[in-house]
Amino acid sequence: MINHHPKIDLLIQHVNGELPASISAGIKIHSDLCTKCNNQIIELTKHAAKTCLGSQELDSQEFAAESFAAQDHDEEYNFDAQSMINNITEMQAETELNIDETPLSVTFRGVEYDLPNVMKHMSLGKPAQIGKLSRSRILLDEGHIHSSLLRIEAGGSIPEHTHKGYEITLLLEGSFKDDMGEYVAGDFIVLDGKHQHQPMSELGCLCYTVVSDSLHFTQGINKLLNPIGSFIY
Amino acid sequence: MQVVQSNLSNKITGHIISSMHSPIQNTDICSWLHAVAKSRDKSAFTQLFHFFAPKILKISQSKLSNKTLANEVVQETMSNVWKKAHLFDDAKGAPTTWIFTIMRNVTFDILRKLQSNKEDNLSDDIWPMIEMAEVEHEPFSDHLEQKQILSVIDKLPQNQQEVIKGFYFMEMSQDQLAVHLDLPVGTVKSRLRLALIKLRGLLGVNND
Repeated sequence: MINHHPKIDLLIQHVNGELPASISAGIKIHSDLCTKCNNQIIELTKHAAKTCLGSQELDSQEFAAESFAAQDHDEEYNFDAQSMINNITEMQAETELNIDETPLSVTFRGVEYDLPNVMKHMSLGKPAQIGKLSRSRILLDEGHIHSSLLRIEAGGSIPEHTHKGYEITLLLEGSFKDDMGEYVAGDFIVLDGKHQHQPMSELGCLCYTVVSDSLHFTQGINKLLNPIGSFIY
Repeated sequence: MQVVQSNLSNKITGHIISSMHSPIQNTDICSWLHAVAKSRDKSAFTQLFHFFAPKILKISQSKLSNKTLANEVVQETMSNVWKKAHLFDDAKGAPTTWIFTIMRNVTFDILRKLQSNKEDNLSDDIWPMIEMAEVEHEPFSDHLEQKQILSVIDKLPQNQQEVIKGFYFMEMSQDQLAVHLDLPVGTVKSRLRLALIKLRGLLGVNND
């Protein structure tokens, strides 16, 4: 059963389109598997819509005063409602829905894994490997926020580490555990600098990860392994 | 239904807008959307535009703090309303929510283009206007289920029944169906999709 959900403030930012694509995609993957969060998103969207667009003429009047009138005085600012209407109503309706049916997948060590629909238009980097870890970067170009697909082979683990920023992990298939518990597909796991953990997967798993800064290994000899930190970041 | 003053003067001024006194209801918005969907009704679209464009402009100006881009959000959102009005289903939610999601998606893609220089338009994957029907690739194996579904399929419009029956019960591919029905493949696909959405709604009533 899914036990880890995005917090409500994250969902609010999500429905308002205020999160990076990587995080909103993670929420979409989760909510496709979690009815509770999906319903919450529907309710929050209704609420946001009402707040933004639900008000009556007061706004139109304000706007009319501010903007349409401004049109006469402010040469730089040209919002011409009528020509926009004319322009739009010349357009053809979109009666055909072009839906791309090809499923997206990733291949690690010869095994092909299906990926969620939300990743359909994301491009993936070449897979790279260290030990039992395989990684393919998701090329979203979000600056310091890096997203990846991470495969841990059966019996594999990541040395104990903390996070300077945050790390969001979405378990796509399989399971893994750390000292805080066991995780299953659909779990939306958020960790930050306060947490230390050593994830380990008995049977193997595939994760979608969003990391805002490189990992920092904390224990003994593993400190020498800090290159893995930049591998996972 | 309430009649809202429709003044289609070419020069839309604040004066005309503020002279519209009767409050606009969801039912008005729905009927405008249906008029656009059915007959590409320009005066209905004009009503929609005057109700929503000012609000969209205001919100996008505060989000983008750039007037050209804010105008682009209005233009893109209202174009989508015009082009996709037939996809709006008032059984599924309020028209305001539908237009809000279009505006949110348009703004998200513009912001992403600005910040990451990416034109991948991910918003439609994150917040699809039409959810994928999961039943799509599962053949019906259960006889009882098939019987129940047959009775529901009869409630679909004729042209949707054809594709659904051909696809699921005669196991024809979309390409074969297109040849069989003498239609473009795209039309077969979109009819199939619309039929599935409708079916899900019809079956949901009994399954819940």
